Amino acid sequence: MLEIQNITKTFEKGTVNEHVAIKDMSLSLKKGEFVTIVGSNGAGKSTLFNAICGSFLVDGGHIFLDNEDITYKSEHKRAREIGRVFQDPMKGTAPNMTIEENLALAYTRSERHANPFSSAITKKKVAFFRENLARYHMGIEDRMKTKIGLLSGGQRQVVTLLMCTLSVPKLLLLDEHTAALDPATAEKVMEITKKIVAENQLTTMMITHNLKQSLTTGSRTIMLDSGEIILDISGKERDNMTMDDLVKMYSMKKQKEFDNDRILLSSEE
Amino acid sequence: MVELQYYLSNLPDGLIYGLLAMGIYISLRILDIPDLTTEGSFGFGMVVSVLTALHGHPILALFLGMAAGAAAGIITGLLQTKLSVHPVLAGIITMSGLYSINLVCYSLTDKGATTNLSYEKNTVFEKVKELFGIRGQFETSVVKAVVSLIIVSLVLMIVIWFFRTRVGLCVRATGDNPDMVSASSINVDRTKIIGLLIANALIGLSGALASQSLGYSDINTSNGTLIYGLAAVIIGEAIFGKRGPAIGVLSAVVGSILYKLIVAFVIRENIFGEKSANLMKFTCALIVAITLAIPAIKRMIAERKQRKAAN
Repeated sequence: MLEIQNITKTFEKGTVNEHVAIKDMSLSLKKGEFVTIVGSNGAGKSTLFNAICGSFLVDGGHIFLDNEDITYKSEHKRAREIGRVFQDPMKGTAPNMTIEENLALAYTRSERHANPFSSAITKKKVAFFRENLARYHMGIEDRMKTKIGLLSGGQRQVVTLLMCTLSVPKLLLLDEHTAALDPATAEKVMEITKKIVAENQLTTMMITHNLKQSLTTGSRTIMLDSGEIILDISGKERDNMTMDDLVKMYSMKKQKEFDNDRILLSSEE
Repeated sequence: MVELQYYLSNLPDGLIYGLLAMGIYISLRILDIPDLTTEGSFGFGMVVSVLTALHGHPILALFLGMAAGAAAGIITGLLQTKLSVHPVLAGIITMSGLYSINLVCYSLTDKGATTNLSYEKNTVFEKVKELFGIRGQFETSVVKAVVSLIIVSLVLMIVIWFFRTRVGLCVRATGDNPDMVSASSINVDRTKIIGLLIANALIGLSGALASQSLGYSDINTSNGTLIYGLAAVIIGEAIFGKRGPAIGVLSAVVGSILYKLIVAFVIRENIFGEKSANLMKFTCALIVAITLAIPAIKRMIAERKQRKAAN
C-alpha cells in the first residue's frame, strides 16, 4: 500500500545548522498492516510522517501510495487518502465549530464532486455521524451542537479519529495521539483506535513512546534513529521480543556508534 | 417629528454601512485575518459605481462596484497566500495601490482630472423616486431607507445561506483551525481567498451604495471606513455576544445602524461642543479602544480586589 524508496531530507542545507533528518530511507507497508514506530527525540519519526503527508518535499527518492507516485503531490491533495491524528488534541478539530460541523467538514473529503454550494449539514448526514459516534460510548453523540472546544482531550481525539476515518483513508498516521491524555483516557482512545483500524482494515503507522505498547499493538515494529531504520521486526521475532530487549538493542546500537566515533577520534591523534 | 425625521435620515446610511461592517466581520471574526484592504475596496466600489451609473446603468453599477471590491479582495488574498506576504502588509499594499487606481478612474470622464464625480441623478434611489413620483426631503429619506433595507436584507440572507454551504463551512474552519482544514483535504489558500473576496465584495457594494445615496463619489469619502466598520462590529458584539456567523453578520449590521444613530445624537446634541462634527473619527476610535480594553480593565479590577482581600 505504501512504498517509500530511498527518501532523504536535509533541513537548512548549506548552513551551519544543516541537519539530515531522513537518510536514504526505504520502507514498504502491505495493505492492512499496522506498524508501530519508536525512536528517541529527533530520530525522524514525525519528519517521516511530514514527508509522507507532504508538509515538505523530499530531497530525493520516491513515495508511492497504492501504486500512485505521490512524491510531488501537494499536501491537501494527499490528505484525501491519508488521515492523520496529532498528539495535540487541539490540532485536529476547529474549536469554535460544533461537533456536527467538524464532522461535516471532514466528510467533504468523500464527496469531492458534490456541489460546493450544497448544504453542508443535512439530517441524513447528522444521523450518520451520530450513529458512528454512538459506537464508541463516549457520550458525544447527544452533543452534536456543542462546540468542540468544550470537549475533553480524549473526546476530541475520538472525534478527530472519526473525522480521519469516516471516509476510509488508504493510510492512517497516528502521531503519539494518546500521549497528551491521562492514562485511563489514553487506554480508552487506544482501544477505540484498534477497533476502528480493525473494522476498516486500515493500513496504519503509529508513533509511540510507550515501548510496551509498540510491541503489543499492531503487527510490526520499526525503530528509527538519526533518520534511519535501525530495527524492523514482525511475526515470531517480534512476539519473542521483550521491552528490555528493545531497550538493549537500542543502547547497543548507540554504543557501537559511540565506539566508532572513539576509534575515529583516537586514530586521528 | 423633526427629531424623528432627523434620525430617520440617518437610517439608510446605517444600513448601507452595515454591508461594510459585514465585510469587516467576515475578515476579522470569521477568517481571523486583520484585513486593511477596506478603504481601498470601498473607494474602488464607489468610483466604479459612479462611472457605470454615468453611462445610465445605476443597478449594474452596484454589481460592478461589488465586483471591484471582490477583485481587490482577491489581490490581497493572493498576496497573503501564494506570495506569503504578512496579512496586514498585504492589505496595506492593496489599499495604497488602489488609491492611485481610484484617482486614475476619477479622471476617466470628459471632466478631466478630478477627485469628485456627481451621479447627475443616475442612482437607484432617484430611479425609485421617479418610478413612484416621490418628492420632498422626508420622503427621500424613506425611499432610501426602504431601498437599502431591501438590498441589505437580501445580502444578509445570501451571506447567511453561504456560510451554511460546504464552501462556507470550509471558510469558517479556515479561520478557526487552518491545519485541520488542510488535513481535511481542502485547499486553505483557496478558502482564504474566497473569504477575502466575499468580505471585500460586500465592502465594494457598500461603497457603491453609499456614493449613490450621497449622489456623488469623492476620493476622500472612504477615509475612516475601516475604523467605522470595526466600531460597528464591536458594538454589535457588545449587544449580541460572540455567536455563530449568522448572528454575527446580523449583529454587524445592527452595530452599524446603532453607531450611525449615536453619531447623529452626538452631533445634534453637540456633545463635544461646537466641534462635535469634527470629532467623529476621534469618537469612533474612542469607542473601539474602550470596548476592546474592557476585558483587560475588568481583569485589572478583579486582581486588585483579590490583592486587597488577601492583605
